[in-house]
Amino acid sequence: MSTVSVRYVVDDVDTAIAFYVGHLGFAELMHPDPAFAMLTLGDLRLVLVSPVPADHPGGGSRPMPDGTRQQPGGWNRFMIEVADLARTVGTLRAAGAHFRNEIVTGIGTRQILLEDPSGNVVELFEPVRQEARLTPSAPAAAGPPSPGPGA
Amino acid sequence: MPDPLHTLRLPVAPVEPRQEFAAALRRRLGQRTGQFTPGAATARYFVTDLDAAVIFYTQQLGFAEELRAAPAFAMLYRGELRLLLSVLGQPSTRESADTGEPGQAAEGEESPAAGGSNRIVLGVPDLAAAVARLRANGVRFRTGITTGITVRQALLEDPSGNLVELFEPLAGYHERQGGTR
Repeated sequence: MSTVSVRYVVDDVDTAIAFYVGHLGFAELMHPDPAFAMLTLGDLRLVLVSPVPADHPGGGSRPMPDGTRQQPGGWNRFMIEVADLARTVGTLRAAGAHFRNEIVTGIGTRQILLEDPSGNVVELFEPVRQEARLTPSAPAAAGPPSPGPGA
Repeated sequence: MPDPLHTLRLPVAPVEPRQEFAAALRRRLGQRTGQFTPGAATARYFVTDLDAAVIFYTQQLGFAEELRAAPAFAMLYRGELRLLLSVLGQPSTRESADTGEPGQAAEGEESPAAGGSNRIVLGVPDLAAAVARLRANGVRFRTGITTGITVRQALLEDPSGNLVELFEPLAGYHERQGGTR
């Protein structure tokens, strides 16, 4: 159970699959029910559900006990590291993707908020500090590069 | 006459081919499709009180604190999940490129907020025991234990009202073996 799972509530699971697979490089693991699909990208498992009635067999997107329906949106999100944020944003914009803001330079990363077709947000980021990188570019990143012989 | 340099040479050590390693490396490289970096399992949650959130996630849910840049930001880990906690109204929660005031959205834009239905999902071996322990510690649950398809699950709230889903696999549960790598 080491894989990381995130559940997103979407209006329509098929539309969401097309978005996450087509734009963001996710692979579909299963889609056994119109209201449920499981996708994967690296170590992230993304569970997509659309709201279902209380008596639906799928338990993940039923209403709360007080009747509140689960719905897409909000600000919490998962994040995807990209090598070149400006280029990625250009590609996605050209493909018709919606962004909630423009590229923001934060403390460790440059970042932008992409919206899926239901209005859920996905953060794309490009590290501007080595510590913010998820995948160090070189295995010998532990120390400063040593000068070569005769340097 | 033996080569005088022979004693200085390193022995030739036989290297066994490591098929599993090679296969894992191939899979990983094969996932490197285009511009997205795989292996990136990071989530960001908005919280109202950083210290309360760090205490909650480390003491109740088994996260480890990696760094805390009070008062705005903390980074926690649990297994392969990296959870970023951002405090509302702080510079790092700025979502707009052009606002002069940190933590405030530009005119006509919405400000970030905690809550919503989207959530991280954490597996536990015994859901009933986990729920009982957390309830005894004063953790709020938004649902009781519900049974879905091949899982039992429960939704709890962090101190800022963000959802965390706990689940226990039942018979027929499927998960890719060895994670996704």
